[in-house]
Amino acid sequence: MSVVSGLLDKYGIKASLAQADDFEKWLIERNWNLYNEDKMNNRVVIENEIKKLGIRFANGTVKKDYNAQIEVPFDLVCDMWIEGLEQTGLDWTVEDITKCENKADSCADTLQENGINSDNEQQDNPEVICFCEDKNEKENPKGDKCILKIFGKPIKSGDFTIKLCYKHYGWIEGEPISYINIPIAFNPDPRSLWRNIPTPEKSLFYKPDAECEYIKVEESETTGPRKDVVAASQRGRSHAQDGKARDDHFRLHHCGESDWYILAVADGAGSAKYSRQGSRIACDTVVEYCINKLKDSTELEDAIRAYRTADDEETSRKLMANVIYSIVGNAAFSAHKTIKDQAKQTANDIPGVTVKDFATTLMFSICKKFDFGWFVASYWVGDGAMCIFNKEKGTIKLLGIPDEGEFSGQTRFLTMPEVFNDGKAIMDRLRFSIEEDFTALFLMTDGISDPMFETENNLNNFNKWAEFWDKLKNGFPDDEISGVDLKDDNEESKDQLLKWMDFWSPGNHDDRTLVILY
Amino acid sequence: MARRLPVYLLIDTSGSMKGEPIESVKVGIESMLSTLRNDPYALETVNISIITYDREVKQLIPLTPIDELQMPEITTPDSGPTHMGEALEMLLTNMEKEINKGTQDKKGDWMPLLFLMTDGKPSDIMKFNDMVPKIKASKFATVVCCAAGPKAKTAELCQLTDKVYQIDTLDGTSLSKFFKWVSGIIGEGNKSMGATSELLLPPPPEEVNVVI
Repeated sequence: MSVVSGLLDKYGIKASLAQADDFEKWLIERNWNLYNEDKMNNRVVIENEIKKLGIRFANGTVKKDYNAQIEVPFDLVCDMWIEGLEQTGLDWTVEDITKCENKADSCADTLQENGINSDNEQQDNPEVICFCEDKNEKENPKGDKCILKIFGKPIKSGDFTIKLCYKHYGWIEGEPISYINIPIAFNPDPRSLWRNIPTPEKSLFYKPDAECEYIKVEESETTGPRKDVVAASQRGRSHAQDGKARDDHFRLHHCGESDWYILAVADGAGSAKYSRQGSRIACDTVVEYCINKLKDSTELEDAIRAYRTADDEETSRKLMANVIYSIVGNAAFSAHKTIKDQAKQTANDIPGVTVKDFATTLMFSICKKFDFGWFVASYWVGDGAMCIFNKEKGTIKLLGIPDEGEFSGQTRFLTMPEVFNDGKAIMDRLRFSIEEDFTALFLMTDGISDPMFETENNLNNFNKWAEFWDKLKNGFPDDEISGVDLKDDNEESKDQLLKWMDFWSPGNHDDRTLVILY
Repeated sequence: MARRLPVYLLIDTSGSMKGEPIESVKVGIESMLSTLRNDPYALETVNISIITYDREVKQLIPLTPIDELQMPEITTPDSGPTHMGEALEMLLTNMEKEINKGTQDKKGDWMPLLFLMTDGKPSDIMKFNDMVPKIKASKFATVVCCAAGPKAKTAELCQLTDKVYQIDTLDGTSLSKFFKWVSGIIGEGNKSMGATSELLLPPPPEEVNVVI
């Protein structure tokens, strides 16, 4: 007799064996379906809840420590794990899940293996997963969450999809495992993405991608130690990436006899096609112009001495300004004109070329040491920085005001007509200064000043210049970039400076040029 | 912090975008992000904000660096108006809050880029007309509008910018080409500086027609 016919008999129901069998089949099939439907509904409800949580993992970066975690309330899941993580090189772990749930069949073994003493009261009920809320209430207050952590260092960059698998709350052995696909993205290390494509040497107005120079002014018995000049110019990573030319330029000169130093730095506009030539012409023109003018510098030197000893400061200042205007101001203007001529000439071969295609900034300075100290005169249009730094005295003197707009990258250029509108426009950009002595005179393009100083206010802050000076000397040990040894007559410092210029600064990958008179 | 290149994406999510169009847009944006993440300069500087507009206007993502950015769900209602004017209004409000202008204490961000996409035309035409001069007065490095699909109108968009482009179909292929082109523009945007006030766009792909 089957179980069912026995049961029927118990309730006084007379049924044939065939009827009892049929009833059993009917009973089981119908209720099994009902049961499954019920289970499935429960599962779908939880699956939707989980989807609603909108679980995401933060983006990571290749070879950098990655840590992320997600939390799902224990009234939704009783176990979670990750599949498909192998491809990423990461690992995962579920925290403290054992505290809160006991999977009597499988977990009991694992727990013991792990040496965790689980006083599991439900071991004799192997199919049931129980939520031991009663037992662990104190440790895990209601609403506690299952915490899953992903950690490690991603091995490759890209977009991946990983599978978060989970057993929903109330899951029974035999039921399907639910999962959601979660995208996870790993950014490449930005430093690894830079390429260094040489500029084609056949390109119009070619210039080398990097340059450096040292001017050694040796001491003599009468002079004592004399200041040297070191300079380097390095193509920015953003240009190297596309095999584009360096737009910066510098030019140095020391007049052996008269002892005048002439230093010029220019930054060709990134968006102007031939700005590399614009910056070269700007530097070359002003330096040549000043060399010529300073061949006989009597008038200037007389003015300087007169200014030094004058009773009437105002008048002698004006006199002085006029002399500087005629040399420095005219040098700048002649650079402006020479670039215009170049543009016209180029337009003959390449129609449509205008002076805008040669847009460049320019800063230059003429300096000389007298018995009473240093005389420095300068002209500056555009961004970057030109500054007299005196470490001992704790002072800095910015030789002008950087031209910066409301948004990054806006500046004025030597090639703009308004820069030479009238005498005042030129005069406003001239500076002169008499210094007893100084640690260094810097001329730099924004490729250096932006990452080092960031803002105009910082440019006026002595401490920032002192920090900059330290960075120059010490380098960037974290990035394995060594410092520049700025001692007298150290010709090697030019190569050191060039290497130093490879420092890393996110978002700052413009050409870098720095001239130091020290 | 590095100077940022803010990029604003205004995406039409009106009812007509439901289904393949919006899915294609999502795929397009995703592949754009992936391209930009592999451009070292973009990876450090590009920040993206996504604003969607239908009858409601939502800023799905505030200005976020692309290395942190995660593609959000984009949903579309079954039907309803296209509040493009309101979207532009939100854009201007957000820009005011989000973009760093250069001051003596702070380096400014790069000039922002705006990409607007629609498969129709603005329903809130009054507001839209109010916004046109304000958008024009804002300093964008470039504004690119894309009219996608057969029902998209270009007349209004042409008031916003001279860079209006048309895609005939709203399918995956043409949209993915469009976004590839957009990635190129953003990549270029990184390198634009000073001398030219407007960004020069690379030539659009074949599927994208220039509206004159």
